[in-house]
Amino acid sequence: MPHFDWLVDGSIVGVYLLLTMIAGLAVRKYVGKVEDFLVAGREMNVYLGIASLAATEFGIITCMYTAQGGYQSGFAGATPGILQAIAMLVIGWTGFCIRPLRDSGAMTIPELYQRRFGSNIRRAAGVVIVLGGLLNMGVFLRIGGEFLVVATGFDAKYLVATMAALLLLVAVYTVLGGMLSVLVTDFLQFVVMSAGLIVVTILVLYHVGWEKLVDAVALNHGEGGFNPFVNKSQGWQFVAFQALHNTAATLTWQTVTARLLAAKDTKTGQRIFTQTSFFFVCRWMIPGIWGIAALATLAPAAYLTLSPEMQAAPSLYAMPLFLSTFVPIGLMGLLVAAMLAADMSTDSSYMLTWASVIYNDIIAPFKRPGWTEKKGLLLNRAIVACIGVFLLFYGLLYPLKGNLWDYLAQTGTIYLASMSVLLVACCYWKRANSWGATAAIAVGAFVPLTYLVLRDVTATHEFAVAIGPNNAGLIAYGATALAMVVGSLLKPQQAEAR
Amino acid sequence: MDFHGHPFWWLLTAAVVVWYSTITIYVSIRGMHDIRGMLQRLKDKQTP
Repeated sequence: MPHFDWLVDGSIVGVYLLLTMIAGLAVRKYVGKVEDFLVAGREMNVYLGIASLAATEFGIITCMYTAQGGYQSGFAGATPGILQAIAMLVIGWTGFCIRPLRDSGAMTIPELYQRRFGSNIRRAAGVVIVLGGLLNMGVFLRIGGEFLVVATGFDAKYLVATMAALLLLVAVYTVLGGMLSVLVTDFLQFVVMSAGLIVVTILVLYHVGWEKLVDAVALNHGEGGFNPFVNKSQGWQFVAFQALHNTAATLTWQTVTARLLAAKDTKTGQRIFTQTSFFFVCRWMIPGIWGIAALATLAPAAYLTLSPEMQAAPSLYAMPLFLSTFVPIGLMGLLVAAMLAADMSTDSSYMLTWASVIYNDIIAPFKRPGWTEKKGLLLNRAIVACIGVFLLFYGLLYPLKGNLWDYLAQTGTIYLASMSVLLVACCYWKRANSWGATAAIAVGAFVPLTYLVLRDVTATHEFAVAIGPNNAGLIAYGATALAMVVGSLLKPQQAEAR
Repeated sequence: MDFHGHPFWWLLTAAVVVWYSTITIYVSIRGMHDIRGMLQRLKDKQTP
């Protein structure tokens, strides 16, 4: 029986939700302009930035795929987190790409591209960012709802209602307060989420014990559970792809960039990067340890309590199943509040930052002269609401197949490959031009989309499996960079000068 | 200390728990100050 007690744990969760809504709605009066709504008037300081970035980049979805990594690959499952922490530290320290981006005063990355490559590239970049981002975040809500169902023992028939209610709460304060509400609620959510994550992790380490965790990894994965290079499902291709992917995500992932662009100055933005970098190790290690604890303690019979669909993917649901009986009453309330906090901060920020690209780079450039601030705000709010509706329906309709992180990495690559190549070229290569940018965007989207289609079509499924997600990802980054170079060099210099 | 044959992962796990606990307390205190400052600056901007 799950340990969720409605009186004790339910009250803790209720108080948390009430405080979040009050905080989120209280700051809406400070939103007067589109800039306030999208980048909080660029008034964010370092510690609020750290809290907001950490809260945004850790949702229930994160907890689920990183725990799945721990369950399926042992400690080596945390490799992407270590690689992202290194990327974040180096980029924050050197200011590589992020310094010219923040100095440009742009509100989104495509806005910067327009200055170098023209307005068509701005719109095209906006389209692929939105396409990749929405496909990526489309599975968030369902996975979040499934975690709550398994961990708390809610009846699965309430899954849709739970998802809709969660989304409605988030949408209300995001629509009204924009980035300001997101930042303030992120702060509250960071505190609640972190408290829950730390307490439960200490509990796991104390009760399950280091020896048992290590033994479970050694028994199930051998040396590959500790070393990604000899892990059967990872290897050097996995490490190379993750290094590229996480560097690209640090440079251009919309929610990360939004914190840089909302920072009060460039130096503050760089400090947010360096000081948040180690969080990305925590983000993979903490749920990874929970996943390993599930591997170490769950008996085969425990999985029979899962629904038949969930039993088909036990690695994904092992962690919430483990927590449902491991975490005691009272602490379960803190854990659920922490997970709700994690999910709400992620959903709100993702809805807002992708809405900002739709407004700023796809719709607004068509409008000459531009909208009034009032109309702009109204339009932004409508876009956030539409994304919320999309999330609900996509989450209900898309049947997730295979490893969750692989899906997220592939959908993210649709835009990460091209946007990162464009950003580097835009900042540091004088010969880069609109032909190269066009080719890079087309190739960067084509390769991962083709891989996803091949994998989902029965006739080509085996072929896609033989290629594998890591090789597909490496091909996407290599081909995109090549397309940028070849496209740029093919454009006559006279045409470029014009 | 018994790393059980894996000192790297033991030390990384310990670093995660210690660093995350410390940063949570520190950011909780300094973040409140940042929010107050941010809202004050926005209020000042709105005042004609």
